Amino acid sequence: MTDTSTSLIRDAWKAGGTGEEMIRCETVDKWFGAFQALRQIDLVVGRQEVVVVCGPSGSGKSTLIRCINRLEKHDAGTIVVDGIELSDDVRNIQEVRREVGMVFQQFNLFPHLTILENITLAPRQVRRLPKDETDSHAMELLERVKIPEQAHKYPAQLSGGQQQRVAIARALAMKPKVMLFDEPTSALDPEMIKEVLDAMVELAESGMTMIVVSHEMGFARAVADRIVFMADSEIVEVGTPEHFFTDPQEERTKLFLSQIL
Amino acid sequence: MSDTNVPTSEYRPQASEQPPTRTTSPREWVRLNLFNTWYNSLLTVVLAPLVGYVIYRALRFVFVTARWEIIEVNLTNFMVGTFPRGELWRVWGAIIILGLVIGLGLGVTSRASAETARARGVAAGTSWSLVARRAAPALLLLVALVVFVRTATPLLLLAAALAVAAGGYVAGRWIPPQHRRWMHIAVVAGLAGSYVVMTQFGGVNLAHWGGLMLTVFLAVGGIALAFPVGIIVALGRRSKLPAIRVVSMLYIELIRGLPLIALLYMGWLILPFLLPIGFPTPGRTWRALIVLLVFTAAYVAEIVRGGLQSIPKGQYEAAQALGLPAWKMMRLVILPQALRNVIPALVGQFISLFKDTSLVLLIALTDLLGVARRVTQQPEFLGQGLHAESLLFVSFIYWVGSYWMSRESQRMEQRLGLGER
Repeated sequence: MTDTSTSLIRDAWKAGGTGEEMIRCETVDKWFGAFQALRQIDLVVGRQEVVVVCGPSGSGKSTLIRCINRLEKHDAGTIVVDGIELSDDVRNIQEVRREVGMVFQQFNLFPHLTILENITLAPRQVRRLPKDETDSHAMELLERVKIPEQAHKYPAQLSGGQQQRVAIARALAMKPKVMLFDEPTSALDPEMIKEVLDAMVELAESGMTMIVVSHEMGFARAVADRIVFMADSEIVEVGTPEHFFTDPQEERTKLFLSQIL
Repeated sequence: MSDTNVPTSEYRPQASEQPPTRTTSPREWVRLNLFNTWYNSLLTVVLAPLVGYVIYRALRFVFVTARWEIIEVNLTNFMVGTFPRGELWRVWGAIIILGLVIGLGLGVTSRASAETARARGVAAGTSWSLVARRAAPALLLLVALVVFVRTATPLLLLAAALAVAAGGYVAGRWIPPQHRRWMHIAVVAGLAGSYVVMTQFGGVNLAHWGGLMLTVFLAVGGIALAFPVGIIVALGRRSKLPAIRVVSMLYIELIRGLPLIALLYMGWLILPFLLPIGFPTPGRTWRALIVLLVFTAAYVAEIVRGGLQSIPKGQYEAAQALGLPAWKMMRLVILPQALRNVIPALVGQFISLFKDTSLVLLIALTDLLGVARRVTQQPEFLGQGLHAESLLFVSFIYWVGSYWMSRESQRMEQRLGLGER
């Protein structure tokens, strides 16, 4: 390891936001068969911090956030979310998933349920809240993502941007402490990207802890507290947007930035 | 929902924006569809007399030459087989009880779906013509049965059963939503009640059931049991636990590799020896039902497995990410979609089960088809060649049942397909 990367590791340990620790990944490894998808990942995310993860495709960005809510099981190292260490214990996993909301590239709304039912399903079934309460909370969330008039439609009747905003509302309905976004705008038509990013910006400003895998550099520059650059299954560089865009340290970061900016 | 201020009316285009309507006169239609090319004209000229002749012969047979007295005389045989005639009041009692709970169930579900439609702001899709079309197959069957009735008593009892069913429907519509779950208990109690009336307190052993009653018992019982068992086996085949997976797979592959008739014989002849000593052997009819259930469940399992495979991985992940436990994910997210995708195949399997119940005549049970074979051997009809009449009559009943299932499945597909527009 060179001197620069030592300084980068220090950056990775420095939680942003309120400074209070929300997520801690320590020396996390993940293998898919013979392919190593994550190599010695160290990252701490602070409460109310917004971290954007970027990097070329196949670099392990999605795998990293999917390990945080145990959609993928990491093979070595430790992941601690809000004081709960991820283990094979089913109750532990359920507890973590209740605290962590996730938004997917392909929306993954439930097509057989209306928008309102999509949003209230988990609060009613997992948190066991009464229908009146979940319904009115769902309508508040739909107001917040600006599509209350779609409440009784089915997902297939909505545009991609609207579906993704419903997906955000659905994740928020569980009142999570952390939100994970897995390339939330990559499957959208260009004219719909803004409405989804607007909803995410609003969410960030409300103080939500967020980890966003995205290629939206404009969003990263405006909202991120720190940017994590990944390549070849490892974290190459971590820094504030200012530092990251104007003064990247690593060759691979420079190359990546020259290709996308 | 009143606090949420959701607009509930759908957008409707103005009259000026509606697409133009096209009208064709019957004369034009004939020209466009029957005589549009020279080879179509030729086909029409050749086939029209042929089709006309077949229809003429069929109608002439049904309304002129057929000797329907074989059905008239044996109507009770066709309905209940060798069921003791002194105990027929039990059958009517059971029919009235079932009519009540079926009416109740229909009433409750119709109110529930109307309420859902109102909450979602879509027009509730019931009109009289739609209801009439749905009930058409049942009405057709009723008419076909009623014309053969010779005495007043069955007609009066039938009217009573229909009146009770209508009363149940009205009561069902009246039940407020918070008491709705009692309906399930009422339906189960009704089923149990009718079974008790039929068999207990000096009632009639299942071995003496026959005719249409036996056919319906085997078909409905087989479908109602094979469906949940099939789902469980399908889930078992995808289980992470190797023992469950292997057992499910062995079950499916073994049963699918055997002919139903072989299984029926096995159930009849071998099953009693396989049971532990002292274990009461179920009656012949129960054994037939068990075999039909075991046979159909294996096919249902494979159909459901196909449905499960059609659900994208993202649906599982979204449900997991929301913190839904595995069985709730299956029940609320995966199975509703998976089953909807396989309705046509599932109903096909159930229709096939309905008709396969006729194979029980091989193990000496007298179902509807069995009666049709036997009545032609009666002294007063022997050697008179009335096979056509009796076979036509039972075929019509089988056809109405199958057609009704097929229609209902299409309706269900349309209703559940709402989200896939």
